Amino acid sequence: MMVKFDYLKPKTEKELAVLLAKHADEAKLMAGGTDLLVLMRDKIFKPRYVIDIKDIPELRRLEYDEHRGLRIGAAVTLNEIIASKVIREKFTALWEAAGTLADVMIRNRATLAGNICNASPASDTAPALLVLDAEVEVKSERGERKIPIREFFKGVKKTALERGEFVKAIRVPNPPKGAKGSYLKWGRTKGEDLAVVGVAALVANSGKPAVCIALSSVAPTPILVPEVQNAFEGRGSTDEKIEKAAAAVVGKICPISDVRCCKEYRLHMAGVLTRRILKQLVGAS
Amino acid sequence: MSKHKISLNVNGQRYDVEVEANKTLLRLLRDDLEMTGTKCACERGDCGLCTVLLDGVPTKSCMVLAVEVDGREVTTVEGISGEELNAVQRAFIKHSAVQCGFCTPAFIVAATALLKRNPKPTEEEVKEAIGGILCRCTGYRQIIDAILDASKSAK
Repeated sequence: MMVKFDYLKPKTEKELAVLLAKHADEAKLMAGGTDLLVLMRDKIFKPRYVIDIKDIPELRRLEYDEHRGLRIGAAVTLNEIIASKVIREKFTALWEAAGTLADVMIRNRATLAGNICNASPASDTAPALLVLDAEVEVKSERGERKIPIREFFKGVKKTALERGEFVKAIRVPNPPKGAKGSYLKWGRTKGEDLAVVGVAALVANSGKPAVCIALSSVAPTPILVPEVQNAFEGRGSTDEKIEKAAAAVVGKICPISDVRCCKEYRLHMAGVLTRRILKQLVGAS
Repeated sequence: MSKHKISLNVNGQRYDVEVEANKTLLRLLRDDLEMTGTKCACERGDCGLCTVLLDGVPTKSCMVLAVEVDGREVTTVEGISGEELNAVQRAFIKHSAVQCGFCTPAFIVAATALLKRNPKPTEEEVKEAIGGILCRCTGYRQIIDAILDASKSAK
């Protein structure tokens, strides 16, 4: 049986901020609920209040502006993201990542904001948001602020959110013109399972390539590897540069052994997937 | 714990019920409304056996609180067809896509919704649509064949 709680359903952001200021230590926010309900069933979370954010119209908006980029409200589901043509075309890494998370029915409920707030090291969407340099819009009764996604993950299941704060939206700036992105997920099965390793990449190829790589399931948090850019500076064939990039990734990550596989396999597959995604995006022999 | 008066439509009939905040849609259907066609297994969103249609969209009912479905429409396997079996159900019989049968209602519900939305799915699209439902007899081949066959009989 699930723990007992009171269910609250604010209609505005302001109402939510007030509720959260009052009950912050005893409340959990619910968007899709696909993580929360399981954690309450396992009695890992025992909130006195569950605050459902899905009735707040501002949080349900998915907007794209040519200049300002993408803005995804906290209650927007992954399937709404997958249905968006502009995300598919311009934010491909995020689009592909959303499509690998759990299964189609879970994605009808699960949200992007929920996925990052859960702050699992195995988050599928986080690496894509890291390479796309997203920003998290946060609000509380005290006011609003923006947290770069690169500073959002603080540890296993820990975020930079402070007491009383909630995520309003995730902002993703337009990638450089002509940039290509992708997300590769390696799992034990084709569907539903968490990643053994997940790799997102963004490659902008105007003159010399600007390359960005981030991974999931290989460190206490989803992790960006800025050192990959160094591999593409200087001389050498594309194949050699990709090898250097893979070595930089393997040198940076610190995976653990768990129920899915051992640490050595994760290290190996992180290298394999880095090579694979870069060959796909940079284009090599 | 808070209690909530909700009104929902299940298989075309309106129900006014009072639910406790922590009751899932799955438990409401099975325990309170006594519709046991929707199966309860993992209760953690993994197995998909509790699949119902929520406003026409396949949904794992263990991952939805009953209080959330106020004013909404639910279709369970009991209401998926009329007097006669639908094309998906007939194809499941024809292809022996049933072993122990425990997962069958979920597959029937998800497949019926798929064919309504996409009458001629590819095999990949079928796999995508049923990817969240587990059959522990592992009879997926027959299930996929049945759904593809049902799609052929659709106009």
